Amino acid sequence: MKELQFFHFGLMPYPNIPPPEDYESTWVTLSNKHYDPVVGHRLYNEYLDQAVLAEKLGYDGTCVNEHHQNAYGTMPDPNVMASHIVARTEKIRIGIIGNALPLHENPLRVAESVAMLDVISGGRIISGFVRGTGMEYHSLRANPAHSRERFWEAHDLIMKAWTEDGPFEWRGKHFDLPYVNPWPKPYQQPHPPIWLPGQGSMETISEAAKRRYPFMMVFAPLAFTKFNYDMYRRAAEEEGYEPAPEQLAFCTGTYVAETDEIAHREAKEHIMWLFHRGLKVPDYHFFPPGYTSGKSLRGMLMGKEKFNIKNHVDLTYEELIEQQYVIVGSPETVVEKLKIYTEELGAGILVGAGMQVGDMPNWKVVKNMTLFAEEVMPHFRPPGNKPAWERGVPVPGSPESLGGVPAAQPEPVGSTA
Amino acid sequence: MTQAIETPGVDAEMVDVAGAQVAVRRRGSGRPLLYLHGAGFTGRWLRIHEALSAGADVIAPEHPGFGASPDREEIEGFDDLVLHYDDLRARFGLEEPFDLVGYSLGGWIAADYAVTYPEKLRSLTLITPAGLEPPIVDFFAMEPEQVFATLFNDFTNVGEVMVDPNDIDVAVHMYEEASTVAKLAWNPRYDRKLARRLRRVSCPTLIVGAENDRLLAGEQSDRYAELIPGAKLVRIPGTGHAIPIEQPEATAQAILEFNGGLA
Repeated sequence: MKELQFFHFGLMPYPNIPPPEDYESTWVTLSNKHYDPVVGHRLYNEYLDQAVLAEKLGYDGTCVNEHHQNAYGTMPDPNVMASHIVARTEKIRIGIIGNALPLHENPLRVAESVAMLDVISGGRIISGFVRGTGMEYHSLRANPAHSRERFWEAHDLIMKAWTEDGPFEWRGKHFDLPYVNPWPKPYQQPHPPIWLPGQGSMETISEAAKRRYPFMMVFAPLAFTKFNYDMYRRAAEEEGYEPAPEQLAFCTGTYVAETDEIAHREAKEHIMWLFHRGLKVPDYHFFPPGYTSGKSLRGMLMGKEKFNIKNHVDLTYEELIEQQYVIVGSPETVVEKLKIYTEELGAGILVGAGMQVGDMPNWKVVKNMTLFAEEVMPHFRPPGNKPAWERGVPVPGSPESLGGVPAAQPEPVGSTA
Repeated sequence: MTQAIETPGVDAEMVDVAGAQVAVRRRGSGRPLLYLHGAGFTGRWLRIHEALSAGADVIAPEHPGFGASPDREEIEGFDDLVLHYDDLRARFGLEEPFDLVGYSLGGWIAADYAVTYPEKLRSLTLITPAGLEPPIVDFFAMEPEQVFATLFNDFTNVGEVMVDPNDIDVAVHMYEEASTVAKLAWNPRYDRKLARRLRRVSCPTLIVGAENDRLLAGEQSDRYAELIPGAKLVRIPGTGHAIPIEQPEATAQAILEFNGGLA
């Protein structure tokens, strides 16, 4: 048996929006006149209860993320959500996957917030760092042409702020800070595990592999996930090591029910909400100029052709199932499909296990999460079906999980004086 | 109405400008005229260039990050571009005041050059220049077809610059050029300080405005003409933002009449 860690993850969508033909994009421009805070109050609290339930059901972790001005996921501040979950749980690991670094005027604020959460929770935080989707750059007007540079400079600054004593001076291209000296510093030493969720750009994958950061593919077909894992493995090989399964994560929605037939009947409409409505985004919102390099864009366009990858809104339910964008079925079916990831792809982390998608009502989410925990997880765990945090299994991305090898840090982008 | 002229192919020469590799096309006789292109329509000698070359020695470089000129990390903003073009001026030995023409994004660069080095210009022409106000539409949030529909009022000559956005090479190249525009002008999409600086322009200035510009409000040309001392405004009838493509000969004639190139 190859083990798999299970991270619960709900996107916290706002489902009550007009039919997709009535608007341009579920992001950036869909009017917030459709947002009813009374409905939002109920939804937020259901979603947060689901995250708390994840601990009771023995999930290894629960995750939150950051997106702006959209109905797909209403978590503009992931640290607020993480704080709530920290307060209501005892043991479960909480993945912030992640804070969108280039969107922040001052990355020290991220260093501070995540360190606060890590100290309050007694070291339960996984700190994901992302660039944010292209849509975020339209919404917040951060310059997409600076995105990559700002990401790595902010990353280097935060890592140094967490691992070296302050005050020190940071003199970079994008950030210039005379006194870097955050109080508190993180609880976990040398720092909380770093994860890099991505959409499959060569640059991100190779930088993740260089630092041994777990890399996560998001809503991609199985074949494309494999392609990107292979790229990670090659990059790791160049660094002289073989990646552990805990370095390869995939974010895929799952729905389990008593039988395949019931599962499809219960899940289909909500999965279609996610792909046809939540992800209704024109290319120009997805890829603002400069967000990706010309070289990466070429690779992506050719990859799309090669793997016949369609835009999310053009995928049929059958294609979503067939290409494993989502996994739906009886426990047996779901176990069998997850085994492709563990046995053939060598993945070690599933994010999105039993997730709420689209306009899925609370009862289905609770049922799905429960069945998943009781009928699917045991197939990927030692007898007893205990979560990683009860078995003393190190957090993926921590030095212990990487065989005691601390994540390597190439020269920081900024200089310090 | 002026006659359409035959446009020859003119190859770009790669020129070293203070360490930057710049693609430059040059043709014509008369006084040197530096032509700064807009956010696209690069990679070839256009009818507007050819029409201008009837009365001037046209020097048409491609900005770093456009056409065949590689992007330069050192060019972070318009101030860097002003210095870049002053280096280019020196590289081409333009020691006497010269004629500067800028279209759209190039008009913004030219205006910045003119407020920085007013004494180095013999004349300044700004064709539907950007820079004073943000565009009235979000051109970074458009399908390629929408972009053309926005830029052109008269589609007769659109073939000169039409490309196939479904071709991967074309898509990547367009994306790279748009990325350079984003680097310079994603946020903000104009220069708040430019209005108060334009008083420094001291050479004769011509503003060429469109009749129906759907990218930059037509009033922006009026404002440029108001803010630059003694500036003259002409509008080319029937045109949209893409004036130099829509009416190349009429545009060139207006410029050459103004700067004495036809004399």
